[in-house]
Amino acid sequence: MTSIDLALPLARPAATRSLGPLATLARRRFQLTARTPRELVVPLLTPIMFALVIAPALKTALHTAASYESFVAIGTVGLLIPLNTMFSGLSVIVDRTSGAQRELLTAPIPRGLLVLGNLLVALAITALQVGVLIAVAVARGIHFQTTARGIAWFSGTALLFTVGMYGMAEILAQRVPRQEEYIARVPAIAILPWFLAGALFPITALPIFLRWVTKFLPLTHTLAVLRYGLRGDPSGLQAIWHLSSPAEMAGLSLAVVACFALLLTVVSIRVFSRSAVS
Amino acid sequence: MDFAIEAQDLRKTYPGGVEAVRGIDFEVAAGEVFGLLGPNGAGKSTTVGMLTTTIEPTSGSARLAGFDVAREPLSARAVSSVVFQEAVVDRSLSGRRNLEIHARLWDVETREAVARIDELAATLGLVELLDRAVEGYSGGERRRLEIARALVSYPRVLFLDEPTVGLDPRIRAELLDVIAGLRSRSELTVLLTTHYLDEAERLCDRVAIMHSGRIVALDTPRALLAGLGRELVEMRVEGNVESALASLRERGVAGEDAFAVGSRLTVPLHDRSSREAMAAVHELGLAVAISAREPTLDDVYLRLTGDSLAAAA
Repeated sequence: MTSIDLALPLARPAATRSLGPLATLARRRFQLTARTPRELVVPLLTPIMFALVIAPALKTALHTAASYESFVAIGTVGLLIPLNTMFSGLSVIVDRTSGAQRELLTAPIPRGLLVLGNLLVALAITALQVGVLIAVAVARGIHFQTTARGIAWFSGTALLFTVGMYGMAEILAQRVPRQEEYIARVPAIAILPWFLAGALFPITALPIFLRWVTKFLPLTHTLAVLRYGLRGDPSGLQAIWHLSSPAEMAGLSLAVVACFALLLTVVSIRVFSRSAVS
Repeated sequence: MDFAIEAQDLRKTYPGGVEAVRGIDFEVAAGEVFGLLGPNGAGKSTTVGMLTTTIEPTSGSARLAGFDVAREPLSARAVSSVVFQEAVVDRSLSGRRNLEIHARLWDVETREAVARIDELAATLGLVELLDRAVEGYSGGERRRLEIARALVSYPRVLFLDEPTVGLDPRIRAELLDVIAGLRSRSELTVLLTTHYLDEAERLCDRVAIMHSGRIVALDTPRALLAGLGRELVEMRVEGNVESALASLRERGVAGEDAFAVGSRLTVPLHDRSSREAMAAVHELGLAVAISAREPTLDDVYLRLTGDSLAAAA
């Protein structure tokens, strides 16, 4: 008969630490993601095609200025982030239906850490993908006019928008039982707003009613600050705020994106923690 | 006495009014192997869910090693581990990585975890497999890995939720050996849910029989079986079973603990021999088929619920 040395089971104190488990959860998620290359590559395909093929083609066809390519290249960041975070959310469903999520729910850690661990990996992968997109655009000859401060605006906004979109993906993943249903909802969340938020053209080109609607989309604010940061172009911010100071308008839009990120993160942790207990 | 598990008037009613657990009370002493026996839908897994903090009790309370599962869930989870009914693993990761993740989340010191993983892998026959992705494991290998994972953190309380369901007979027999091996040290308390009688009889110090969300009997397997005597006579009767039972009682062949289910009549024997009892039945001309055998926990369940465990499962 098999005999197992159980040693002395000591009373371990309740886990008050969180950085260690968070790092463990993030590393686990990263390892799982790295074994699913589609999660890394697929979200990149459409934005790269937009930036490198469609934007130059539109520039030629519509006889627009060369700066239109950089306008669209940054606009495609607004597609890449939602697509990537939605793909990350898909892995939450896989984890729940055929992975180790139930084991993790019995771990002596606050359950919100599971969401934050996934979020860290979504952020890292998104940063990598955005970096690749910009690098490929530069290599293709698309010109960006930026400064260190501009890069800070760009990075901070992209980060906050990713956090918010991941929160949305996590909420959706908790609300729908199957991958098929999740995927069916992705276009409405990741793609539809992209067409309205000024990714391919300024929102001033939209009818007045739609222009007002787009001002309530976090993506509109995100794209406006991203362009301000990487092209030094405040026109998107002016179309939203109608103020004279670009930095002030960028701050306001950044605040909108930060509120979006905070709200969605809090709600996603709450939804996850509730759905973990029946 | 220090109890490893305590449940007091524990209830769970799901939205829609389904009463999965209807007020159960039990205590499990440290080092005891305790079985929850019952068919699917009896409330066993819901009970485990409440004890492991993944299902919120509607009312009542439960404690693991003194920690209230509702008020101190992190502490309760820190002293326990679960082996689930279904495979709950990261399939694309290696077995070792699955164990490491558990060790880290349960705050086992790194050096200690490495030694512990090697020790468990050797004991459970996982050494050759440990660095392979779990998706290549057989069902039995994956189960052994899950047991190893649960033991990495030195739990005081181990929950085994239907650990042998879906396994072929050979792997099941191997796994029962492994689980029996857990009894070799007195520090670990095991709560095992099963609908297999042989598992409960072989592994458990005490068994609670659950039926429709209630505990209908709780004792050692031996005491539960003793309630049905040394032997019992089982017969199939034609015609009215109740009147046949009444005739047998009138003749002193059957006592108050004899019971009928469908056309089957079961008579526990306490004082008589089976030969005497069968002769008396033949004399009355009641039975179309009759046999004598030792009682099983299924008979206990049948008597208490009017249903066979095997049929209900």
